[in-house]
Amino acid sequence: MSQAADWKKADRRIGILFIVPFAVAALVFMVYPVAEAVRLAFYHHNPLNPAAASFAGLDNFRALAADPLFWQSFRQAAVWTFSSIVLQTVIGVGLALLLHLPLRGISVFRGLLLFPYIVPTVVIALILQWMLNADLGVVNWSLRGAGLIDENVYWLASPGMAMLSTIALNVWKYTPFVTICVLARLQTIPLELYDAAKVDGAGAVRRFVDITLPQLAEVLAVVVIFRTIWTFNKFEEIYLLTRGGPGTSTFNLAIYSFEQSVASLKMGVGAATGVVMMALLFVGSLIYMRVFRFDEEAAQ
Amino acid sequence: MTIRLEHIWKSFGPVGVLKDVHLELPEREFITLVGPSGCGKTTLLRILAGLESATRGEIWHGDTRVSDLAPGKRDIAMVFQNYALYPHMNVHGNIAYGLKVRGTPKAEIAARVLEVARVLEIESLLGRKPRQLSGGQRQRVALGRAMVRKPWLFLMDEPLSNLDAKLRVTMRGELKRFHMRLETTTVYVTHDQLEAMTMSDKIAVMDHGVVQQYATPAEVYNRPANTFVAGFIGSPPMNFVERAELAGGELALDCGPDGRIPIGASPLRNGFAGETLLGVRPQDLEVRSAPRAGAVPATVTLIQLVGSEKLVEVAFGAAGKLTAQVKADAPVAAGERVWIGFDSAKLHLFEPASGGNLALR
Amino acid sequence: MNAPGAVRQVIAYLVLLAVTFVICFPLIWALSTSLKSPKEVMATPPRLLPAEVTIENYRNLVTGKQQYYRADQSYVPTTAAPQHFTSWFANSVVVSLGSTAISILISTLAAYSVTRFRYRGRRIIPYFSLLGYMIPSIILVFPLFLVMAELRLTNSLWSLTFGYVSITLPFCMWLLWAFFRGIPIELEEAAMIDGASRLRVFVDIVLPSAAPGIIAAAIFSLIVSWNDFLFARVFINSIENLPLTVGVMHFFEGTHVDWGLMMASAVLMTVPMAILFMLMQRHLVAGFGAGAVKG
Repeated sequence: MSQAADWKKADRRIGILFIVPFAVAALVFMVYPVAEAVRLAFYHHNPLNPAAASFAGLDNFRALAADPLFWQSFRQAAVWTFSSIVLQTVIGVGLALLLHLPLRGISVFRGLLLFPYIVPTVVIALILQWMLNADLGVVNWSLRGAGLIDENVYWLASPGMAMLSTIALNVWKYTPFVTICVLARLQTIPLELYDAAKVDGAGAVRRFVDITLPQLAEVLAVVVIFRTIWTFNKFEEIYLLTRGGPGTSTFNLAIYSFEQSVASLKMGVGAATGVVMMALLFVGSLIYMRVFRFDEEAAQ
Repeated sequence: MTIRLEHIWKSFGPVGVLKDVHLELPEREFITLVGPSGCGKTTLLRILAGLESATRGEIWHGDTRVSDLAPGKRDIAMVFQNYALYPHMNVHGNIAYGLKVRGTPKAEIAARVLEVARVLEIESLLGRKPRQLSGGQRQRVALGRAMVRKPWLFLMDEPLSNLDAKLRVTMRGELKRFHMRLETTTVYVTHDQLEAMTMSDKIAVMDHGVVQQYATPAEVYNRPANTFVAGFIGSPPMNFVERAELAGGELALDCGPDGRIPIGASPLRNGFAGETLLGVRPQDLEVRSAPRAGAVPATVTLIQLVGSEKLVEVAFGAAGKLTAQVKADAPVAAGERVWIGFDSAKLHLFEPASGGNLALR
Repeated sequence: MNAPGAVRQVIAYLVLLAVTFVICFPLIWALSTSLKSPKEVMATPPRLLPAEVTIENYRNLVTGKQQYYRADQSYVPTTAAPQHFTSWFANSVVVSLGSTAISILISTLAAYSVTRFRYRGRRIIPYFSLLGYMIPSIILVFPLFLVMAELRLTNSLWSLTFGYVSITLPFCMWLLWAFFRGIPIELEEAAMIDGASRLRVFVDIVLPSAAPGIIAAAIFSLIVSWNDFLFARVFINSIENLPLTVGVMHFFEGTHVDWGLMMASAVLMTVPMAILFMLMQRHLVAGFGAGAVKG
């Protein structure tokens, strides 16, 4: 009896042992910070004077609601996210369709696709700052040379253009994601479906609308929701290009939170912003799960 | 050393998979567990291997209780359905692994691997990786891995099911030859009744977790314990005719006065009379073009040529159907009126309710 | 699908070339600028190919020389402090490798545990991990900073190493879990029957089979750690301890910007990622376990 029980028990012990490091790491580096983030939202906390921290109740949230910059950040984040997602989706799908064609050497292009993702955001931000430099940058010079503009555009120094520039960075960096997901889905559509449609007499446009689009609908829904959740909360892509400026014209909630904690030294308010962001994230995830389950049921 | 499976029960949660399996596996014999998918044969094999543990019951190797021993300590070897070759090791590494783990000296490992490779004719493949091998080659490597440790028990989980039909026939013979040469107790799992019949010393026919019959192939074929075994073993499958009244040395099929078959002195021990389920194999039926006493009139509905034989489907009575197997050159054609002769020595009578063979009561 | 007609093919290729141009141009332009002398960098209109290729920008970077800006006929120091590019590079390497090693170790063990053993709660762990992956780092960074302050690790490379574990661990766990699920359990059963202990099975059989997944997770983790800005900005305040991402932003301090130097640093910062990128391509073609199991 002893030999038997030993073997199974020792085996189980290994299983538990293997999960312990993860459990510890998860608790210390994932669960605790999130709990702390939520707790901080209800406290006045000055990072330079932590001892003086005091309970604030809902004061921080009230401060948010009363701060016009908060709402401005929220609006700008929404605009930024919406524009980025639309561009990423349209360009992404178009690119995917293009890369799906059986052209020679197409794998070279496909291989290049993830390159923007691995380039550090800092790098592309630096390079863009250089390229978009009003007096010396290659963009202005090229556009002037091509006769498309008469005067130098202040890509980063004027509010509207700054927003555009940050959107451009975001689209450059993350459109490949959309393309890859859509391309992967395109490659699983059985070719027989197209053959059957051809036999039925459907032309190219009809085939795209009736076969390709419905198959893409699911993956696009997933991709769009995921990208929306992520894009809304991006920090570096804006901060490193414009610091949220000029002024506060490219603030989003992440930058607002950062500024509250670091510049205004109100970590509680920064944390409260974080809580708002998490709440929005939660809502977004619920929507995602609804859509996903809906598609699963539809598929049955 | 005999292996004993004592009253094995197994359930996965609320689902019962094995029910009171009680078998004795004699030494050096080739025993097959056969049955349709889901009958529990693979689960039973895994319990023998130690990869699963029985909910109730014990396993004995001779006088040693092994029910709780780790698989590595039972001195067994297993050939998996998908071979389970280690993908990152070459053939030599795969075969040698079990010996390596047990600390066998390198020189001995090399010698034994080579010996096994020679027997299986895979010497030239020793340096290759599994993904470079064909299905048949992979199967031999799996066999080699099992053989090299000279275990005391071989377990095989449908090893031929992934091979194409022709290769399967060849490998059947090879496996049987290996068994004769190695003289090691082998437990073999398959859903193919032909494999079971041709290779085994004993067969355990299983259905829904219960051993329906455990006997030699001849027994199982000639004296099936119930309708399940009768219908499962043998190809083409046995014919079953319902509502066959047994009375006074005669079997009356439900098709009018012509359907009477003389049985002679009652073959049933306790003089049973009444409604039975008649079972008769296609090979034991005769197709005659002229009437004869004891032959049932019928009409031919379909003829299928199977090489040297023909399968003749007939309809008789109100809704009766039979399939007979005759020589390919027999003069029968579809639509003809024929008379079906029954060999009274080869009739099987089953109790309609339980399906049990009435002759074995 | 049939190949499109000739005209369509030409259009397709043109579009693809345009897209490739858009993807690659920033780096090409940076490279071009970095190879120009300071006087040529400031010349207008800007040209793609440097009239005179020079590596002085790279030299200045590596030797930590003062930045200069050309005003009229002379060079004027930009008043930014001499920089520590090589220290930053070393810091980035150490922190990326360190956090990757830790994340991979933890997630490999955890993924195996969750897929092969049975205990309460094991099913939710991967999804819990995925949830953690979705939390934006801006929410985590300040509480984590407080944790590091508590552990007296702020301003040290350890704080970054552990910090990056917190953002790479969730996805590594999820990736490896999905991967381990695909490894046929028969391989381990065969090894156990061969007599190997559980630990031996893990090292001899499971890890080699999981190699492609582990490599993919490692590459992901390296990329994320190397590219991060936020954590480094919050955790580290002394200039020698910064990794590259925050360090190069310091080049903006001072009265003017030495663009040649900046672009050189941009290029050098991307080179390790580009190398990793090329390695990644090859591994996407790994067909490792194909032959062990049928088919």
